[in-house]
Amino acid sequence: MSQSEMSRGKRHLKTTGKMKEMLPRFFMRMMERKFSNEPVAWCMVGVPPELLKAFDLLFEWPENFGTMCASRQVAPHFIQAAENDGYSPELCTYVTNTMGYCRLVKDTGEIPEESPLPGGMGTPAMLLGSGFICEPRWKWFQSIATRFFDVPVYSSDPLAPPWDVNPNDPRIAEHYLTLLREDLAGQIEFLEKHTGKKLDTDHLKEILARSHQALAYWRDTLALRKAIPSPMGSTDYFHAIIPQMYLVGDEEAVEFYREMYEEVKDRVDRGIGIVDEEKYRLIWFGLPPWFNMGVFNYLESLGAVFAYESTYNVGDYFEVDLADPLEAIVQRNWQRMLKMHEYGAETMPELCNPAVFGGFTGSSLLNELVEQYSLTGAMMHLTRSCRAVSFGEVHTKNRLAKLGIPSLIFESDMADPRLWSDAQIKTRLQAFLETMDKARQGGKINES
Amino acid sequence: MNLDDRYLEKMNYSRSKNEDYITQLKKETGKPVIGYLCCFAPPEIISAAGAIPYRITGRPGGDTSAADACVEPYGCTYVRNIFTRALEGELDFLDGLVISHSCDMVQRLYGIWTYYRPFEYSYLFNVPHQLTPWAKDFFRRELGFFRESLESFTGQKVCPEKLAEEIKLYNANRALIREIYAMRRNNPPGIKGSKMLDLLMAGGTLPAGQYNTLLQNTLTELKEQPEEKKQGARIMIWGSIIDHPALFKMIEETGGNVVCDDTCIGFRVWEKDIPLDKELYEGLTEHYFVNFQCPRTDRGPGTERFDYILQRAREYKVDGVIGYCISFCDPHKFDYPDLRDYLKKEGIPVLLIEDNYSFEPAEAIKTRIQAFLETL
Repeated sequence: MSQSEMSRGKRHLKTTGKMKEMLPRFFMRMMERKFSNEPVAWCMVGVPPELLKAFDLLFEWPENFGTMCASRQVAPHFIQAAENDGYSPELCTYVTNTMGYCRLVKDTGEIPEESPLPGGMGTPAMLLGSGFICEPRWKWFQSIATRFFDVPVYSSDPLAPPWDVNPNDPRIAEHYLTLLREDLAGQIEFLEKHTGKKLDTDHLKEILARSHQALAYWRDTLALRKAIPSPMGSTDYFHAIIPQMYLVGDEEAVEFYREMYEEVKDRVDRGIGIVDEEKYRLIWFGLPPWFNMGVFNYLESLGAVFAYESTYNVGDYFEVDLADPLEAIVQRNWQRMLKMHEYGAETMPELCNPAVFGGFTGSSLLNELVEQYSLTGAMMHLTRSCRAVSFGEVHTKNRLAKLGIPSLIFESDMADPRLWSDAQIKTRLQAFLETMDKARQGGKINES
Repeated sequence: MNLDDRYLEKMNYSRSKNEDYITQLKKETGKPVIGYLCCFAPPEIISAAGAIPYRITGRPGGDTSAADACVEPYGCTYVRNIFTRALEGELDFLDGLVISHSCDMVQRLYGIWTYYRPFEYSYLFNVPHQLTPWAKDFFRRELGFFRESLESFTGQKVCPEKLAEEIKLYNANRALIREIYAMRRNNPPGIKGSKMLDLLMAGGTLPAGQYNTLLQNTLTELKEQPEEKKQGARIMIWGSIIDHPALFKMIEETGGNVVCDDTCIGFRVWEKDIPLDKELYEGLTEHYFVNFQCPRTDRGPGTERFDYILQRAREYKVDGVIGYCISFCDPHKFDYPDLRDYLKKEGIPVLLIEDNYSFEPAEAIKTRIQAFLETL
């Protein structure tokens, strides 16, 4: 594999293009604070970003750092350092990317120059984890605090009822809601202790209001993708999640998502698509290969567009009463979980998604999406190091087959380009599209 | 001759015999058999509800193609192996399934398994990861929901007296196992590690009362005539679940003795009694949640979480630790670098064997073990 095979994704929207100016400005603001020795919290997706903002906490997302390292082709440098330290190549490469970074910081006393941002992620003053979605998250921050930086850790512990339990049973609801409420209270207690600040709930309420406003624009933008031709692409989609992570609760984020909504709406009204001839309307499952986002453009060159992505999907947006902002955070997770239950969430019990920012699996949701988004096929990225997101792809493929929708599962990774074989993968992607053509002409599909 | 006499007199602990026994027992008693994976959902409650608990295990080296049609190949080979057994009908003698939210793979398998092979009764026993007061409260409430689900399946109420009786029977198992483990502190250790694993495997299969008979018989035999007579490097096994003695036999064949363990089908569930001097569900929470040393539970940062391993290594005068990790076993693979460094600092060398639950290639694994034993 040579790096020349990898290409960065070309975005289609002016709004997502603007991120190139917007994010460096934001990162500069962050860096100024970091360089003035303000404590930095390392956080995981699943920690309510509104809460971090309410504490005016400087924060970094090691997961996002992993995506940046991947897209700059430097992740292997960090992952290798972690593997040399004894971490298995099978482990989540977002984690091993961080572990390698930590190892190098610890060994040299300096921020590795390979880091995508000047100052890298700095070093953490506290770790705020979340067990939402996967198990490596429990071990990740535990190991960082054991091995590299002796700092306090709080990992939130959201649980959701399994698919065959009725969450509308008031006793079951109370069983889980009690845990969610107490867990959030524990998180706040931790933040108050380690920032020395009291939570200002009025301030949190304002942040939540703006955050939900941004999320509503984002949800409405995604719904516009039902239009044919598809007005935006996956490269836009996957990059557009970043403002919600870093600029949550800011007017800037609301503006960003509002502008994006308006741009996409305008494209829909004027019938502007991202490819000249839209031959295949697909759904994407799994994490993207961050080191080679250009693969989406390659598929577009063959007339294939993704109208929906299962990962990082904001999903239905829930109107919650902000009068009690803490209960609002609990309820938005719970309401989302209830919705997922309705869809039949047999493959992933952790649907209580505190970030409103996750994946989905649900049999009847597939029926709905196929119909509403006029889908004709599915591509599933089976990421070797992220079983959490990949799990359920074979099942989903079986479910889609029942709806007459063909799927391709192909293997690689989200951050480690060493697992990407460009020629082989592209041949498979192309061959899959050809089988879809044949199927359309009346042949049978036999793809795995 | 009654069933117990027929089976327990000459029980040689093999799984096929145990499964045969369970099938016979089910026929004679009319009780449903409930299969379970992992150690968070107490079998004591299953028994008290009038069912027969049965710990589901794998078939090492078995192919996983049936499971591959429903789940991804990137995932724990152990649970995919078990799921294959289910899909191929090997577990058809089960009436119900209980899976605990222990590791990611197993809890996610629950949904897929019950989708493709539904049971008359199934339950996902949800378990928090933290040991906060509210997580403990959740676990305790979950025990109650689990009990209720069993009651509605079997139609039998789990009264405190019946539950206490079952706990006593299981605690008797624990006392006997502790007694056998105590023999392993000797040099030579009195019982082969491979034999001990077989004996522990029977504990997941037999009802506690019958298991007591088997343990008592074995203990009497061992006291009269210790089985392992030769001295050798004293090895502790740490890591992923091991339900087959292949690895232990390799160690024995290369001159070592497995004298203790920290694995799922090992000393973990037997080490301590379930306290009976407090409210029963509080005792079960303490035993199965707070004290149960599975690395999936967050015991906070720092190496104190490994102290019990060091303590055990010292009690059993261990020369070295052999770690065993099944492919994609995240909880153990994440702990490995920290544990390796911690034990190294204490002068205890560690060898890690990574495997896909096939114990193959056996010769290559054996060569590594041999080389490791030579360094001790």
